[in-house]
Amino acid sequence: MRESAKTERRAEERIVRDAFAALTGRTGDAVRYTMMTDTPVGTIGLAEGSSGLMRISYSRDEDEFLRRVLRQFGDRPFLRDPLDNVRRALDRYFSGKRLTFDLRFDLSSLPAFEQRVLEATAKIPPGRVAAYAQVAAQAGNPRASRAAGNALNHNPVAIVVPCHRVVRTDGSLGGYGGGLSRKEWLLQHEGATLA
Amino acid sequence: MASSEWPGRAFYSPFAIRYSPLSRSQRTGVSERTGPEEPALNQTDRVAVLLAKHGLELARHLRRLVRDDDVAQDLLQDTMLRAHRALTRLGPGANERAWLYRIATNVALNHLRDRTRERGALERHGRELDVARDSDGTDRDEAARRRTTLWRRIGALPERQRVAITLRVADELEYDDIAARMGCTVEAARANVYQATRRLKQEVP
Repeated sequence: MRESAKTERRAEERIVRDAFAALTGRTGDAVRYTMMTDTPVGTIGLAEGSSGLMRISYSRDEDEFLRRVLRQFGDRPFLRDPLDNVRRALDRYFSGKRLTFDLRFDLSSLPAFEQRVLEATAKIPPGRVAAYAQVAAQAGNPRASRAAGNALNHNPVAIVVPCHRVVRTDGSLGGYGGGLSRKEWLLQHEGATLA
Repeated sequence: MASSEWPGRAFYSPFAIRYSPLSRSQRTGVSERTGPEEPALNQTDRVAVLLAKHGLELARHLRRLVRDDDVAQDLLQDTMLRAHRALTRLGPGANERAWLYRIATNVALNHLRDRTRERGALERHGRELDVARDSDGTDRDEAARRRTTLWRRIGALPERQRVAITLRVADELEYDDIAARMGCTVEAARANVYQATRRLKQEVP
């Protein structure tokens, strides 16, 4: 009698979660992750928990990505998973078929102000840009543009929360955690207006 | 209410910000930073990395070899500990995945071998009890003795032949199942059973 693929997968996950608990003390909710190589902006790592996307980050390779996320979520086991829905959404984005995302993301590990900045940023439509001061204002503090910049630098879910759409008031690009040439590529890809 | 929304049209009016592309010198000067360099991992985190990357497929492999979730779990932990102890010997660029599979297969074969030995002992014990209970049936006595001798001789076969013949005769498995449990090809499983049978026949007078 053959097990269904689902039963099999569930049993395998239980075995790995138990091993995580026994060997590493990680007993929390599992984080599922995958790597996307060969995107137009290089290799990116994706991580998702039960309440949504937790991490999208530019990484050299799987090991580097894991080192970073394992540290950040020290009590949670990690499982390599295809994460097909996230992958598909990003494929559509990179191919230009659909530039917006319907993915849930989880910002609960961040301070409240940073969460508000990122939520405001998530509302900037593709093809448009906003100033640091404007997202700061949306987050409730118009004079905190530097703090807003910091919050954007801590954006755990690059691309899906489009922190690349936030630039300086004078039109210059400002900064980007993944390197300015990525920021520029993303804006051009979305057809943002050039000054 | 209004403040929670972007000021829509007004914001994206002709006065809205436009971004200026990087100049060539800016672009070439930009470092492709992918985040700060992380310090080396401690031992526990290194096990966590191995488990995250390969845990699920090793769990699948082990479950198929031993057909028991609790045993598979135990063996996965054993595999990870052995891998971790030997990690420094794994050079950069080596195939980490193949290496882990090899460790897992060995751990599982060791387990199956131990279990086979246990089963052989139980089997002998059972026969002796049978013999004692039914002392007047000499035919049966004789058959039991022969079976006991057979199990003892199976126990003396080389490891892989012993596992293969036990799975074939005691577990009555098909060759593809034997191959799956032993982590070898169907041909290798068949060859091991064949060699074991040949050797057992040869030795019987």
